[in-house]
Amino acid sequence: MTPLEITGSIFGSMLFFMALRFPIAISMFLAGAIGYVSQAGWLPFSNFVNAQAFARFAGYDLSVIPLFILMGNFATKGGISKSLFAFAASVMGGFKGGLAMASLLACAAFGAISGSSVATAATITGVALPEMKRHGYSGRLATGTLAAGGTLGIQLPPSVVLVIYAILTEQNISKLFAAAVVPGIIAMLGYMVAVAVYVRLVPGQAPEVDNDREPMTMAKVWGVLPILMIFSLVFGGIYGGLFTPTEGAAVGAAATLITAVCKGEMTLEKFKECFLGTATSAAMIFLIFVGADLMNAALAMTQVPNQLAAVVGSWGLPPLAVIGAILLFYVLLGAVMDEMSMLLLTVPIFFPMVMGLDFGMPKDMVAIWFGIMVLMTVGFGLIAPPVGLNVYVVNSMSKDVPMAESYKGVMPFLVSDVLRTLLFLFFPIVPLWLVGFIG
Amino acid sequence: MRILSSLANLCAILAGALITLITLITCGNLILRNTTGDSMAGAFEITAMSTGAAIALFMPLSQIRQGHIIVDFFTTGLSDATNGKLDKVGAFVLALVFGLLAWRTTLGGLSAYTAGSQTMLMGLPEWIVYAAMVPPFALTSLIGLRQALFGFDLTTESHA
Repeated sequence: MTPLEITGSIFGSMLFFMALRFPIAISMFLAGAIGYVSQAGWLPFSNFVNAQAFARFAGYDLSVIPLFILMGNFATKGGISKSLFAFAASVMGGFKGGLAMASLLACAAFGAISGSSVATAATITGVALPEMKRHGYSGRLATGTLAAGGTLGIQLPPSVVLVIYAILTEQNISKLFAAAVVPGIIAMLGYMVAVAVYVRLVPGQAPEVDNDREPMTMAKVWGVLPILMIFSLVFGGIYGGLFTPTEGAAVGAAATLITAVCKGEMTLEKFKECFLGTATSAAMIFLIFVGADLMNAALAMTQVPNQLAAVVGSWGLPPLAVIGAILLFYVLLGAVMDEMSMLLLTVPIFFPMVMGLDFGMPKDMVAIWFGIMVLMTVGFGLIAPPVGLNVYVVNSMSKDVPMAESYKGVMPFLVSDVLRTLLFLFFPIVPLWLVGFIG
Repeated sequence: MRILSSLANLCAILAGALITLITLITCGNLILRNTTGDSMAGAFEITAMSTGAAIALFMPLSQIRQGHIIVDFFTTGLSDATNGKLDKVGAFVLALVFGLLAWRTTLGGLSAYTAGSQTMLMGLPEWIVYAAMVPPFALTSLIGLRQALFGFDLTTESHA
């Protein structure tokens, strides 16, 4: 078989196993094993597997992932979302569609201490959805807003997706986090604008005048202070050079736990659930790591990924067109595949290709910028039909809203996503601006 | 399933304890470093090694809760019974993969032991992490096998 045929059969068998409902990680592992053994034989393969779990699980860089997940779980169970939403509702209450905007603000603030999009969507939905319904918001707008708002969990640092990208491409996590700040804030503002436009164009989605507005009180301001403090502690420490991202995650987890205990929200039962939740999420991510690792090793052996980079480079296409094509490919692949697996599988292939192109920027800046562009498509994939994980999660918490309504509800946010992606595609300075301040 | 389930919970609790340990050591080390200026050289090696063991110890519970992502896009049109059968086949294949991992990690651990592989700064023996990984891998394989033969006892949980 030619290298191209081998590559084709590796991908083909992965898709075949996935279609059979095998876990994605296992599908990748099997396809990788077949590709590896057929090219190199059993002995090298078995030697590779001997140390694979150790190499993948016992790495310092990767230990940041379970710690950030744990921090997010403490935040989820710690009753932090209630005070966040109460504060946000008082801030945004005066606008038409104010509670939807408040949900977005709460998602963004929660996203600043949580690195998971699904967890952010689920947590804020728990407090915001009943309130929006009580105030007469349509199920469509409410669920659409919360599904989109959830993606702010990964758009703003800490972000599990960015950590994975940083590890795959050997980039600096702190710089990637810094690069995500401005795009994350723009994402939130863009979503708010989407709400403002939508409630004016489509009548009946939000109450005309909200008479039941809660005033701002000092208690509400106090309620959100801990979140501000945790965020400042973690990121101040990381950027102030006091600690590494992994240490920051450990400090963040401890601080979030202390906050939850002080709020009187953390029972022994919830504490246990936080660890069990962390167990499930971390196991899922790391098993995908193992599967993707093997598959990438098998693909690297065919030399096709390297040749692909050379071939694409020799075409002399405008670099932006190549990035555009990759992003489009991600949107299509993300429609059927889980976004995390998609990244682990494709970044090792696309990254060398992108790095081979000339954007008129230093290479490390290109690497960071591409990471942010990839993050945009992940966020898009999480809410876009036919399979938007966030939409599923929010919809499942809102039994009386049909799925089709929720997908209609995310449309304005998808438009906002596309516009934002184009902005960063043509103006890399927007995400890269803040990175310039970091040594 | 009850024994497997209790063992899986035990693994997760052990892993939780390890993660707590990492958090405490890291925070303690940071306080030392930023106050007295001296710190434990190589604390990060403890973090890496403990994370390695913890991740492996998380695997059995994740399998019991069916925490691993599947793609159901292609099979939404099939009956629940057919999908149920496919899921059992999936669990069986997962059992094989974890069986392979348990077997090969044992051999990897043995060679780390005979070669005396250690971490750079603290000289922690690497075989300990391998040894901590093998039992949860074997347990995950057994759980997968049990699910392939007798079905999934617990309801599906969503993953974050």
